[in-house]
Amino acid sequence: MGKVFTGAEILLESLKREKVEVLFGLPGGAVLPLYDAMYSAGLRHLLVRHEQAAAFAADGYARVTGKPGVCLGTSGPGATNLITGLTSAMMDSIPVVALTGQVPATMIGKDAFQEADTIGISLPSTKQSFLLRSASDIPAIIHRAFKAAVSGRPGPVLVDLPKSVLMEKAEPVYPPDAGAEHPERPREWKQDDLERAAELILASPRAVLYAGGGVITADASEELRELSELIHIPVTTTLMGLGAFPSRHALSLGMLGMHGSYATNMAICQCELLVAIGARFDDRVTGRVKDFASHAKKIHIDVDPSEINKNVRVDVALVGDARQALRALIEALKKRKAGPSAERYQWLQRIETWRSEHPLTYDKYANTVKPQFVIETLAQYASEDAIVSVDVGQHQMWAAQFYKFSRPRAWLSSSGLGSMGYGFPAAMGAQMAFPGRQAIAIVGDGGFQMTLNDLATIVQYRVPVKIAIINNRALGMVRQWQEIFFEKRYCDIDQDFAPDFVKLAEAYGIRGARVEHRTDVADAVRDFLSDREPRLIDFWVDPAENVYPIVPPGASLAEMVVEPPRVLVEEEALDDLWAV
Amino acid sequence: MQWLITLETERDLIAVCRIMNILRRKGLNVATLALAARSAGFSLMAVVESADSEVDHIFNFLRRTEGVQHVTYYRHEPSQDASFVFIDGDADNSRIARVLEAFPGSHLIFASHGKYLLEVPADSSNRQALTQGFAEPEILPFACVRTTRNVASAELVSAS
Repeated sequence: MGKVFTGAEILLESLKREKVEVLFGLPGGAVLPLYDAMYSAGLRHLLVRHEQAAAFAADGYARVTGKPGVCLGTSGPGATNLITGLTSAMMDSIPVVALTGQVPATMIGKDAFQEADTIGISLPSTKQSFLLRSASDIPAIIHRAFKAAVSGRPGPVLVDLPKSVLMEKAEPVYPPDAGAEHPERPREWKQDDLERAAELILASPRAVLYAGGGVITADASEELRELSELIHIPVTTTLMGLGAFPSRHALSLGMLGMHGSYATNMAICQCELLVAIGARFDDRVTGRVKDFASHAKKIHIDVDPSEINKNVRVDVALVGDARQALRALIEALKKRKAGPSAERYQWLQRIETWRSEHPLTYDKYANTVKPQFVIETLAQYASEDAIVSVDVGQHQMWAAQFYKFSRPRAWLSSSGLGSMGYGFPAAMGAQMAFPGRQAIAIVGDGGFQMTLNDLATIVQYRVPVKIAIINNRALGMVRQWQEIFFEKRYCDIDQDFAPDFVKLAEAYGIRGARVEHRTDVADAVRDFLSDREPRLIDFWVDPAENVYPIVPPGASLAEMVVEPPRVLVEEEALDDLWAV
Repeated sequence: MQWLITLETERDLIAVCRIMNILRRKGLNVATLALAARSAGFSLMAVVESADSEVDHIFNFLRRTEGVQHVTYYRHEPSQDASFVFIDGDADNSRIARVLEAFPGSHLIFASHGKYLLEVPADSSNRQALTQGFAEPEILPFACVRTTRNVASAELVSAS
């Protein structure tokens, strides 16, 4: 018989074999054997102040690296506190492996202290869940967990660890490779469909490429760019897809949908071909779904077959890895000697006209600090490879609209779930992956108060996250909706009783500053980004500023409200909506 | 539309719980459901109702769900194209007996708690009896539409 180890030791060795660099977690009774083994295991562990931050940090780590992020909580509340982060990772298809403590196997189901049905609770929030039953199962289960997290459509996987299994001894047999190293993304398209897609692209000068997070997951940004440039097709990205195509590229349309630009949304409305790549036609993108690109033929490239025809019927489906599919499409087009044409140039000119009619803009001469100006200034002074992480709300949309993205895996946003409190811990996780890059958390004053307790974590571990608070003293997006859609019946949106964030930062040992004047923004940002220390800057922005354009809920993209005062593209239809 | 789904999962109740959760969340109206344990896993058969437009999505969603080994979906088919018959025998064995009498070479696909799915032999000369001879709601004819068994995955997805 070979050497035996405890389940906890086998687990940590399995994580090492998966090339895990850091765990984000918080100890408790059920995982004490694991932390005891960690004492001498040589694995880096970041002690968070709340497990939700551990899940968000693991998510941030995964988004910037493409590798699974690992979070860890004890049984009961430790596990339940992870759930929001796992749900966010599920919605955004982010590979996270969550390890949760569990009461000893013989006590499961007996309502033991700190027992929760973690598997049951986490089912809809995870791609797969495992309950360990034996220490000897650990190597295979961890291998499966990591493989599942990255294969197909990535997502979070949970492994529940009964304390008794962590303490049990076994002789481990490890798989020969790491599960996360070989993601499986089977090709499910037929060559005929690929040829048909190529023909459709060739025959449709008024085309738009609509790129989502799947392009980033598949590392297909280069292929996206090549396809776009091959025949001059403009590219719009979803909130998840920001960075998949450079914002400054001449063929970039920026973001589409509820807060997409006028030109982008009009291009969607008027195009004759829409090529969706790693995107899921989500409601914030489509608006009223029956009117979404209603005149266009549609090609859908996605790794998840269940996304095909889920929200919008498409004409050609290519199920598989986006990179492989785009590469095949490019080759098929090259064989046909595809290239730019006069018709395609006219289409780009038309889009440019829309862009000049209603550019994304704001009052640049206002006396107040405009949040868009803050975002632009941050973009101006941040490093080219800076990682930008956001919370959820108005500041998130302004960042999506006004930050200039130049590369994939540098934009972190809880896009599908829309979880406030995400931005700061996600930046912390990303910073752990790339200690040498700037990690900037652009957060709202509302969201930041949900996870600011982890200021202690970045100080303890010297994680130099830069925190920029876009402080409008309110839950801004809620206020905006109450203003526009609920007749200014403002209810419970004021954050007048927020702490003094500068003093709060200083209480944690972090340098803080407040900016209340427009003329101070640039100097403050330069100083803020000038060192390798955690810093906080509190921008007191114009509290009345709203995000425009906006597509009202239930409206089509053509019915977007472009700017205040309201300029309606189809005023009558919008009046009907607001009357509801 | 009314359709019938059969699926096999690995032998872990977590996979079954996940399937049940999917059926709930996708809003399927479950008319009848049977679950059976096998040595290698669990089998499930359900007659469900959903909008036509949802069926492909749900099939693909199930087949790509972790822990699911095989999925097959059958469309309620009240014509001679039907080659499968679902029998809700409950405690009444006479229904299955009558069907087997009419189609002696039938192949049993699923059986649990008085619920059966049979494949009628392809050369059965009196297939129309499926739709005409058993005009009772407990005996329903189906046609297989999609299955993950022995089929290239490229055949499982279709656009409009």
